[in-house]
Amino acid sequence: MDALRVENVHKLYGNIEAVKGINFSVKEGEIFGLIGPNGAGKTTALRMISTLITITSGKITVCGYDVATQGDEVRKSISYLPEDAGAYKDLSGRTYLRFIAGFFTDSDETDKMTQRGIDIANLGDRIDSKVNTYSKGMMRRLLIARAIMTSPRFAIMDEVTSGLDVMNAHDIRELIREIAGSGVTVLLSSHNMYEVESLCDRVAMINKGEIIMQGTPAELKAKYNANNLEEVFIRGVKSVEQSV
Amino acid sequence: MNSLFNLVKKELRELMTLESVISILVVMILFVGLGFMISDQTEQAMEPVRMGVINYDGESSTYYDTVDSTLDGMYDPATRDQYLIKLYPSSILTDDEIISLMKENGLPNLLVVDQNFSENIDGGTQGKISAYYISENSGAFGGIDSDSVQGFVTVINGAVSTKLMENELSVSPEESAFLKSPVSFSMPDNYTYINGKLYSDITPSAISGAMMTQTLMVPIIIMIVIMVVGSIVISSMGTEKENKTLETLLTLPVKRTTIVSGKILASGIMGLIYGAAYMVGMYVYMSAMTSGAGGVNLADYGLVLEPVDWIITMLMMFVSILCALGLCMILGAFVKNYKSAQTMTLPISVIAMIPMFIFMFVGWNSLPAVMQAVMFIIPFSHPMMVMQNLMFGDYVLVFGGLIYCVAFAAVTVLVTVKLYNSDILLVGFGQTRLGRILAKYKKAD
Repeated sequence: MDALRVENVHKLYGNIEAVKGINFSVKEGEIFGLIGPNGAGKTTALRMISTLITITSGKITVCGYDVATQGDEVRKSISYLPEDAGAYKDLSGRTYLRFIAGFFTDSDETDKMTQRGIDIANLGDRIDSKVNTYSKGMMRRLLIARAIMTSPRFAIMDEVTSGLDVMNAHDIRELIREIAGSGVTVLLSSHNMYEVESLCDRVAMINKGEIIMQGTPAELKAKYNANNLEEVFIRGVKSVEQSV
Repeated sequence: MNSLFNLVKKELRELMTLESVISILVVMILFVGLGFMISDQTEQAMEPVRMGVINYDGESSTYYDTVDSTLDGMYDPATRDQYLIKLYPSSILTDDEIISLMKENGLPNLLVVDQNFSENIDGGTQGKISAYYISENSGAFGGIDSDSVQGFVTVINGAVSTKLMENELSVSPEESAFLKSPVSFSMPDNYTYINGKLYSDITPSAISGAMMTQTLMVPIIIMIVIMVVGSIVISSMGTEKENKTLETLLTLPVKRTTIVSGKILASGIMGLIYGAAYMVGMYVYMSAMTSGAGGVNLADYGLVLEPVDWIITMLMMFVSILCALGLCMILGAFVKNYKSAQTMTLPISVIAMIPMFIFMFVGWNSLPAVMQAVMFIIPFSHPMMVMQNLMFGDYVLVFGGLIYCVAFAAVTVLVTVKLYNSDILLVGFGQTRLGRILAKYKKAD
C-alpha cells in the first residue's frame, strides 16, 4: 500500500506556479528522498503533504487520508520536522517533549511517550536544561526525538542533518534507519547527496516545480551513467537547463 | 479539551516568566508608592494654614479687634499659636523686609493689615489688606494655602462689613446678615434628580466631579491592559515564527480553532492578572486621591456598584480583552518575527487611546451622535464607560455593548481561524494573489 500518493499537484503563489503538476508515491516502510536545487519546490511540496499550506489543484493522500479534506486525520498519522525547526526556548527539553506528547496521548500514556522521547534524544542531564542553552546538535536530537516518539506512520524530514557535525549527522542517520526498520515511512529532503544515497530506497528529483526523474539510487546512477547521486543531480539539472 | 489545556499551560509557562512577574510587581509598587505620596500630600493639605499676620492698624482703632478676633476664630484655640503667627515689627517694613521676615519665621503666607485700615473705612473708603506668599514647587496641592488665605480675607471683609453696619446704621448683627444676603439659597436648596430619585444638597456638577475623580483612571488601566496583552499575543506569534515552532505546532493533531483559542485564553488570563494587579495599585492610588474630607460620597446618592455590577464590569473587561486579543491574533498572522511584532501593536494601541482620551474628559451623553456611534464600534470603549453606565442604570448601553463585544470577539476568532487555515501564516501576505497585486501596484508607483 502507498503511504503517500501525490497526483498532478499544482501550487500557485499569486501568479507564480511553484509546483507544476508533480506525481510520485511512497510505499509503506520506505525511505523516500526528495532532492532538488534551492527554490525547486521541495519545501512547498513537503508543506502541502503535511497540511501546512493548501493545494491549488491535484490530490495528495497520506496513509489513505486526503490532505485537502481530512487534514485532522493526516496530522494524526504524520510527524513533520521542518528545516531549521526550533523548540520553545523557555521550556526544558523534558517539558517540551511532554507538551508534544500531550497532543497524542491521554495523561496515563504521556509519561511513557515522554520517556521514550528522552531516551531517543539521549541528552543525559541536559534534558532538564532550558532549550535556549542547547547546541545545534542537541536541538536537532531533541526535535528528532519529538518527531519519532509519537510513533508516526509517516515521518517527513526536511534537511534533517543540515548544519550538524559529522558525529551528530551520523547518529541521526542511524536513527532514521532504525525507525524505518520499525515500519515508519520516511520522506526525506536533503542537499546532502551522500545522505540521500545511503539512506533512501527511492529518490525523486524536483526542479523548477517539476519532477524530472525518480527511481532507486542505482537506477538513476545507471540512467545518467554516474558514479554517485551527486553526479546524477548535476547532470539532471543541466539536462533541464539545456532543454530550456 | 486536553489539547486546549496543554496549549494554555505551555503558553502560560512561557508568558509567566520572572521578567513578567517583576514587571507586574513594579507597576503595582509604583501605583501604591504614588498613592502613599499623594496621601501624604493630601494630609499635609488638610492641615491648618500656617500664616503670619502684621496688623499695622492701631490696637485702639475701630476694626483692630474685629480683624484680630475673626482670624483667631478661624483656628482651633488648642493649636492656634502653632499656625497663626502674629508679628509686631517696630516700623513699617518694605517688601524685601517682609520676605526676609517670612523666611526667618518659616511662614509661607503672611497678611498685612494697612496702618490706615480703620481710618479709611471710617472715612468712607476701603481699608487695605495685602497678602504675601512664598511659592514653592509643591505640585497639585501647592495652591491650597493661598486659596485659604484668600478665603480668610473674604471672611474678614464680611466681619468688618457687619461691624460697619452696626456702627453706621445701628443694625444688629442679625439684621446686617439679612441685609448682606436677603435671598435664601444654600446647598440644601439644590435638588438633583438621580436614577428616579430626588436628592437635595447636591448638584450635577458635584456628582460629575466626584465620579470623574473616582473613574478617571479606569480608561487608562483598560488601555494599558489592552496594550500589554496585545503585545503579548503578537509577540508570541512573532516568536513562534522566529523560533520556527509554528510549523511544528500546525502539524500536530490539534484543531486550528484550539490553537487560536489556547493562545487567546492564555493571553487573556495574563491580561486579567495584569488588570487585577493594576486595579489593586489603582485602588490604593485612588483611595489616596479621594481621602480628603468634604468629598461627595456617591453611595449616598445611590451611585454605587452592587456585586452584580462588578461581575458585569469584570465580564465586560474580559470580553473586551478577548476582542483585543482576536484583533492581535489577526495582526499576528502577518508578522515575520519578534521585532516586526513590536510595531504591529501600534494600531491596537491607537484604537484603545481614542476612547481613553475621550472618556477621561467626556461622558457618553455629552458626545454627539456620530461620536457615540464611533465609540460604540470601538470595543475597548465599553469597559471604559461601563462603571458610569451601571451607576446611572443605563443597562441598554451596558448590555448592548456586552453583546456587541461578544459578537466582535467571536468574529475575530473566526477570522483568525480562517487565517490559520490559509497559507498567509507561513508564506506571508506577499505570496498571496492580493499581496502580489499590491506589490506590483507599489512598484509601478
